[in-house]
Amino acid sequence: MKTKLAGLGILAIVIIAAAAYALFSGRQTVTEISGFVGGEKIGLLEDEEVQQIFEQKYHLTIDYARAGSIDMISADLTGRNFLFPSNQTALELYEQAHGEPVQSEIVLNTPIVLYTRKAVADALAAEGIAAITDDVYYVDMAKLTECIESDRSWADVGLPQLYGNVSVGTTDPTKSNSGNMFAGLLANTLCGGVADESTVDTILPRLQSIFQKLGYMESSSSDIFDQFLKTGMGAKPLIAGYESQLLEFAVENPDTWEQVKEDIVMLYPTPTVWSSHVYIALDETGTAGIDALLDEDVQRLAWEKHGFRTGLYDAPADVGHFGVTGIAEEITQVAPMPDALTMERIIEALS
Amino acid sequence: MEMKAVKSMAVLLLVSIISLVLLTSCRPGSGQSDSADRVIGSSSSVLRIISGSENAELEPILEKFAEQEGIEIQMSYQGSLDIMRLLEGEEIDYDAVWPASSIWLTMGDTKHRVQHTESVSISPVVFGIRKNLAEELGFVGREVSVGDLLAAIQSGKLRFCMTSATQSNSGASAYIGFLYALLGNPEVITSEDLQSEELKTQMRELLSGVDRSSGSSDWLKDMFLEGNYDAMVNYECLMIQANEELEQRGEEPLYVVYPYDGLSLADSPLGYVDQGDDKKEEMFLKLQEYLLSDEAQNEIQRTGRRSGYTGISEENRDVFRTDWGLQPDRVLSPIRMPAADVLQECLNMYQTDFKKPSLSVYCLDYSGSMEGEGNEQLVNAMEQLLIQENARQNYLQASEDEVNILIPFSGSVIDTYTAVGAGSEIENLYDTVRKQEVGGGTDMYKAAIQGLSMLKEYDLSQYTPAIILLTDGQSGGSFEDFTQAYEELGAKVPVFSIMFGDADETQLQQLADYTNARVFDGRENLTEAFRSVRGYN
Repeated sequence: MKTKLAGLGILAIVIIAAAAYALFSGRQTVTEISGFVGGEKIGLLEDEEVQQIFEQKYHLTIDYARAGSIDMISADLTGRNFLFPSNQTALELYEQAHGEPVQSEIVLNTPIVLYTRKAVADALAAEGIAAITDDVYYVDMAKLTECIESDRSWADVGLPQLYGNVSVGTTDPTKSNSGNMFAGLLANTLCGGVADESTVDTILPRLQSIFQKLGYMESSSSDIFDQFLKTGMGAKPLIAGYESQLLEFAVENPDTWEQVKEDIVMLYPTPTVWSSHVYIALDETGTAGIDALLDEDVQRLAWEKHGFRTGLYDAPADVGHFGVTGIAEEITQVAPMPDALTMERIIEALS
Repeated sequence: MEMKAVKSMAVLLLVSIISLVLLTSCRPGSGQSDSADRVIGSSSSVLRIISGSENAELEPILEKFAEQEGIEIQMSYQGSLDIMRLLEGEEIDYDAVWPASSIWLTMGDTKHRVQHTESVSISPVVFGIRKNLAEELGFVGREVSVGDLLAAIQSGKLRFCMTSATQSNSGASAYIGFLYALLGNPEVITSEDLQSEELKTQMRELLSGVDRSSGSSDWLKDMFLEGNYDAMVNYECLMIQANEELEQRGEEPLYVVYPYDGLSLADSPLGYVDQGDDKKEEMFLKLQEYLLSDEAQNEIQRTGRRSGYTGISEENRDVFRTDWGLQPDRVLSPIRMPAADVLQECLNMYQTDFKKPSLSVYCLDYSGSMEGEGNEQLVNAMEQLLIQENARQNYLQASEDEVNILIPFSGSVIDTYTAVGAGSEIENLYDTVRKQEVGGGTDMYKAAIQGLSMLKEYDLSQYTPAIILLTDGQSGGSFEDFTQAYEELGAKVPVFSIMFGDADETQLQQLADYTNARVFDGRENLTEAFRSVRGYN
C-alpha cells in the first residue's frame, strides 16, 4: 500500500514538473502563418522533420490551402500571409495585380520532366523521339511536338492497346503551374527559341490546337501525378510534371516504388525549363517563412526527401539514395521560360 | 490468481458492452444523425462523409476502422454531380467528400476547401448485358465499340438502365461515351459539335432505349436486381457484385463489355473538407492511411475494384471472373473528358434536349396535418423544381416534351392539373401548389390510383414515367385497391414516396417494394429529397 502511495506521489510530481516546463518553454509563442501552396510542395510542408525545425528554430507553423500557381494570384487573399507558387511568372503576375510584395525569394527548384511507362518510352525511342544517354531518358521536344501536331495515334507509334492520339497530359495551363510551364516549353519549341512578344502571336493557334485536344485538364500537379501512378498506362500514357514528384514518391513509398520502378520512366525534355518555387510574403508575418525555408537543414531535407534541387541548380552529389535510376546529375539543356507578358498572352489564348 | 480472474472478467464485461454498443449502433438509421444514410460505429468523435453510393459496398471495411479507432463514421450517399454542386455551395456540412471521380471534385471545389485528396481505387464504367443476350448480339470474346452497342440499341434488341447523367458519374461517363461515338469519335468534343440536329435525333433515339434511371450507381444496381432488365451501364465493381448476387439466386449473370472507344474510369478520390478542426483532420488522415494500407487495399480489391499500383493480385483474380467477361489485365484506355465548359453544356443538353422526357405525377398531401410549417416546406421544395431558373442550378430543368401532373389530395383527390413542356404551364403549376388550401384526412392510395388512371392516356414507352407521393401521416384507404389499379395499367411505373412529418414508413415502403421504387426521407431536407427523386426520372 505504502509503495503505491509513494508511486502516486512521484507521478504527481512528474506531472506538475511537466506542466511547469510546458508553461515556461511555451512562453516563446509559435506563430501560425497561412497561405496558398502548389500541391507538389505539400509533402515537404507536411514533413514532420521540417515542421519540427520550423517550430523549434523559427517558432512557426504553416497552415495552407492548396491552389494552382496561377489560380492563387486571383484568389481571395484575405487572412493569408504568403503565396508559394511554383514559378516566377506567378510572381510577375502578382506584381502586376497587387504591386511589389513585402518580400519574395526563390527557395526551391526542379526541372519540368515527362513521366511515362516503359512500353511508351520504348515506343518513343523506336520512333527517334526519345533517346537514352548514360541511363537517362531524354525526349526531343521538337520531334515530340511534331508527332502531336501531325495527329498520329498511339497505334501509329506501335501501341495499339492505347486509345486515341499521342498527347502529353498536363494540368490546366491557365490554373496550374506544371501545365503552364509545359505550355511555355511548347511555345519555345514552336518558336524555335525562347518565345517572346514578337514571336508568340504566330504560334498561338498551334498551341491552342494542341491544348484544345486535351479536353478536360486537371487543376493540380499532384492530382495528375497520383492518377498517372494509379490509373495505369491506359489512362495517362504520358504526362508533364516535376522531377521532384517522382523522387519524393520513391523516398516516401520505398516498397511501392520497388514494385513499380521497372515500369515508370522519367524523360527529360531537351531543352527543359526550370520550375522555380518562389515564396511570396504578403505581409511582415509572412516573411518568417522565407528564413525557415532557406534553413540549411530544411534545404537538405527538401532535396533528400522531396527531390527539390536547391541553392544552385544542380543536384547535390548524391542521387543514389533515391533508388531511382535515370536521374540526370546535371540539367544542362535548359531554356528560360518566356517572360511574364508573353506567358500572359499564352494564358489568355488558352483560356 | 484471483486478481487475474477478476481482471479477465472485467475485460470480458467491457468487450461485451462495447460490442453491444457497436451492434446496436450498426443498424441503419440509428445513431445521432438524422440525415446520414448509414451510421457506422458509435462515438462522440464523428466523421461525416458525403459519398457516391457505390461506396456503400465498402461499409464493412469502414466498420473495421471505426471499431479499431472508436470513432463514428456517418455516410451520406449522393450522385457525384450532386456532390459537385454541394461543394460549390457556401456551407459544406461534411468533413470529407468521396465522389466517384476526381473530375467532379475538382470542378466543384472552386473555393479550394478540399485537401489531402487521394484516389482510393479505380473502376471503369462498363456495360453489363445478360449473358445470353450478349452472346446473341455477338459481343462475347471480341472487342466492342460504342457503335456496336448503339446499333443493338437502335434496332431495339438492347434496352438498358443507366443513372442520370446530370447527377451521377457513371451515367455522365456513359453519356459522354455515346456523344463521342455519335460524333464519329473526334479527338475531343467541342461546343460546335453539339449544335448538330442529327446528333439530337440520334441521341434521343439512343436514350429512348433507357429503361430506368436512378440518381446514383449503387441504387441503380439494387434497382436492377429487383427488376427484370436486360442490361445496365455501371462500374465494373458493381457488375461483379450484381453477378455474385445473381449467381447466388441461380439466375443468369451479366456479361461485361468494355467499349474500347467509350471507356471512362472512376478514380474514387477521398478528400478532406477543411473547416479548421485539427482533430477531425487527424481522424480523416488516419482513415485515409488505413484505406490505402496494403491490407485494406487488398480487401477493396476483393470487392471488384482495381486498387494499388501493380494491378490485380494473384489471390484476387478469382473475383474478376473471365467467364463474366471481366478482363483483369486489360489496359484501361479511357476517352478524354471534354473541357469543363463544354462538359457543362453537354450536361445541360442531356437534361433539356436529349433524355427521354419524364412524365411525373406529383401526389401532394394537403391534409390538415400539413398546415403551417409542413405546407410551407412543401411549397418551397416545389419552387425549386417548378420554377425553371431554380431547377437549372441543379440540372433539374424541364425539357420541351416533359409532362408534369399535379394531384393535390387529402381524404380524397382534390383536383388534377397537367403541365406540358418547360414554359409557362409548369410555372403555373407552382401557383396552384402555393394557393391550394390544407384540411381534411389522408388517403394517398386514392391519389396514386388517380395518377395511374391518368397515365393510361400516354404512350409510356416514349416517357420515363413515375409517381411521386408526398405524405405526412398514416394513410387511410387500401393498398389492395392500389395493386388492382396497378395491375390494370400493366406498366412498370415506380411509385416513389417522400416521407414527411409522421408518415408511416411501412406503408410507403410497401408501395416502393411493390413498384421497385424507393422511399426518400424528406424530414431533414424536403428540397433535397425532391431533387433526389428527380434523378430517377
